Amino acid sequence: MINYIIRRLIAVPLLLIGVTILIFLMLMALTPVERTALYVRDVPRNDRVLEGIIKKYGLDDPWYKQYWRWLFGTTITTTEDGVTTVENIGGILRGDFGYSRTASQPVGELLARRFPASLELALYAVIPVIAGGIFLGVVGAVKHNKPLDHIVRIFGIVGWSFPDFVFGLLLLMAFYAGTGWFPPGRISDWANQIVTSPAFHNYTKLISIDALLNLRFDIFFDSLRHMVLPVISLAYLWWALTLRVTRSSMLETLRQDYITTARAKGLAERTVINKHALPNALMPVVTLGGNTVVGLLSGVVIIETVFNYPGMGAAAARAASQLDVITVLSFVLFNGLILVLANVVVDILYAYIDPRVRLD
Amino acid sequence: MTEQQTQSAWQHLLDVRNLETQFHTEDGVVHAVNRISYTMNEGDTLGVVGESGCGKSVHALSIMRLIPNPPGKITGGEVFFRGKDLLQLTDDEMRRVRGAEIAMIFQDPMTSLNPVLTVGFQIMEALKLHQGMDEKVARARAEELLVLVGIPEARQRLDDYPHQFSGGMRQRAMIAMGLSCNPGLLIADEPTTALDVTIQAQIVDLVKRLQEKIGMAVIWITHDLGVVAGMARRVNVMYAGSIIESGPVKEIYANPHHPYTVGLLGSLPGARRDRTKRLYSIKGEPPDLVGELKGCPFAPRCAFRVERCAFEAPVLEEIDSQHIAACWEKANVRRVQ
Repeated sequence: MINYIIRRLIAVPLLLIGVTILIFLMLMALTPVERTALYVRDVPRNDRVLEGIIKKYGLDDPWYKQYWRWLFGTTITTTEDGVTTVENIGGILRGDFGYSRTASQPVGELLARRFPASLELALYAVIPVIAGGIFLGVVGAVKHNKPLDHIVRIFGIVGWSFPDFVFGLLLLMAFYAGTGWFPPGRISDWANQIVTSPAFHNYTKLISIDALLNLRFDIFFDSLRHMVLPVISLAYLWWALTLRVTRSSMLETLRQDYITTARAKGLAERTVINKHALPNALMPVVTLGGNTVVGLLSGVVIIETVFNYPGMGAAAARAASQLDVITVLSFVLFNGLILVLANVVVDILYAYIDPRVRLD
Repeated sequence: MTEQQTQSAWQHLLDVRNLETQFHTEDGVVHAVNRISYTMNEGDTLGVVGESGCGKSVHALSIMRLIPNPPGKITGGEVFFRGKDLLQLTDDEMRRVRGAEIAMIFQDPMTSLNPVLTVGFQIMEALKLHQGMDEKVARARAEELLVLVGIPEARQRLDDYPHQFSGGMRQRAMIAMGLSCNPGLLIADEPTTALDVTIQAQIVDLVKRLQEKIGMAVIWITHDLGVVAGMARRVNVMYAGSIIESGPVKEIYANPHHPYTVGLLGSLPGARRDRTKRLYSIKGEPPDLVGELKGCPFAPRCAFRVERCAFEAPVLEEIDSQHIAACWEKANVRRVQ
């Protein structure tokens, strides 16, 4: 098992290098002028100044030199009017992704500010997906073709076939425009004033959790109220998929000979299901788990836009609509990192469940 | 229940009376097991033979009450085991019988062990459940059992997963699992079919040896008459969900009185067979068990067929005190050489 984990972990840096090369090649497809956003806040209109910047940061060097600089940054010493300035700039490994034109701030800061908001959304979405999806999938399989199974299946089919943005808009129409229960945004204005005040400590940057830690239950409930609709529309599709996969995989597993063996031993049905069937049935669900992470990451782009929720998905959507390529590719890079890590977790979980994986 | 009935129920280890199992499918009701009756004593060995789909396995699963419901259902009869009717027990009571008093091993050892649990865990489970052993005692006993069924380095192998075992070893582990609580009856559902011939012989010998040691009764389900000959004392021949002939092994082999049994024996490859001839096979297919059967189920394939076979089903009648067969022409049926 430990050997297996080590082997998987060794692959991580290699994968990440691959991801960065791919993304950098996309950057190289841009003109050097567009790439200046990696290093300077505003692209100057003056051609000569522009040329100077391109020279200075080596934006027309061969790609591998630029790639190196993009990864590790560079130190540039300039002497102007007798004053020598030393500039440490660039380097995604140092957290410098360049400047976001659409957000008017460095991409690194944008990510740091927006990521916790999206993470909060995704975390709350994962709970119903895993707990509800797997649990109800098992219930559906065990109560195969009974009323409960049909109810579960209908909910599953609806979620599976409904585009999440349409679903989100319908929710907004019903519960915001209609009843006013669940407003869009991340937090109410009054709460925002408190959250941004120095008296409020941001431990995790996840507002709902920070509110609890600050014992501000009013803010906790306010943030939950804002998250209800986006979380539901984000989770529904993946909840439905997890449910369907769990249900069919569980049905398949319950038909296996070893389940009959377990029953023939006199085990209680609960033991048969939880101990003998579930670990086998979970294998495809774990695989789907990796896809769920990817799905939630791309899901936030649409859901945050629909609900005007200030997460990184909304920022990415805005950047994309205004051709802010540097920002978009930084998001892609960030998602790539999360994806690689999610896949490692999936692989390890897989080995944990299935001894045949871990031993080869 | 009168004194006498109680007595008669106790005479036998297993007393199956008019057991009937049906499956409700989209095509209609499948009559998988049709009112079969037989008895077994402590320590007995019974062979159950027949083609695929003749109800051998379903009858065994019915005794264990492991018929998947839906679609299957035991629709009638009684199964007395040590005097109690298994079909009347509550689910909890039945669970205490399964694995403890009646154990079952299955056809395909490759799929009947759970791939994600260690062999040791799977053997220890029944011990902990039925005998209340703690981890340590159960582990020691599981090791003993693996030694008993002839698995070398038993202690280390307890922590192996099924995929680290060969097919023969898995079947041995299944047997160890079945024997763990010293059951009164072991039902072996084609335990050698998926194994190659040399391993088959080993498994047969193993079960015979263990049977002598433990004194349990064995129902050996197979389509291989050769295995039954070396194993069982009595044989039930099943066709289309019914027992069509039953008797002592030697008697059935020497003196079959049902055309189907004759056909089965005729299709055995033997050492003295004329090798220039093709191996005999029973022509035609077993009947579709959907809906009620009219007449003798074997009639369409039968060489001894007479007129009444088509509309009147024969009943089991005595040939002698040990031997019964269900055929109108049983007096004329002879083994063909």
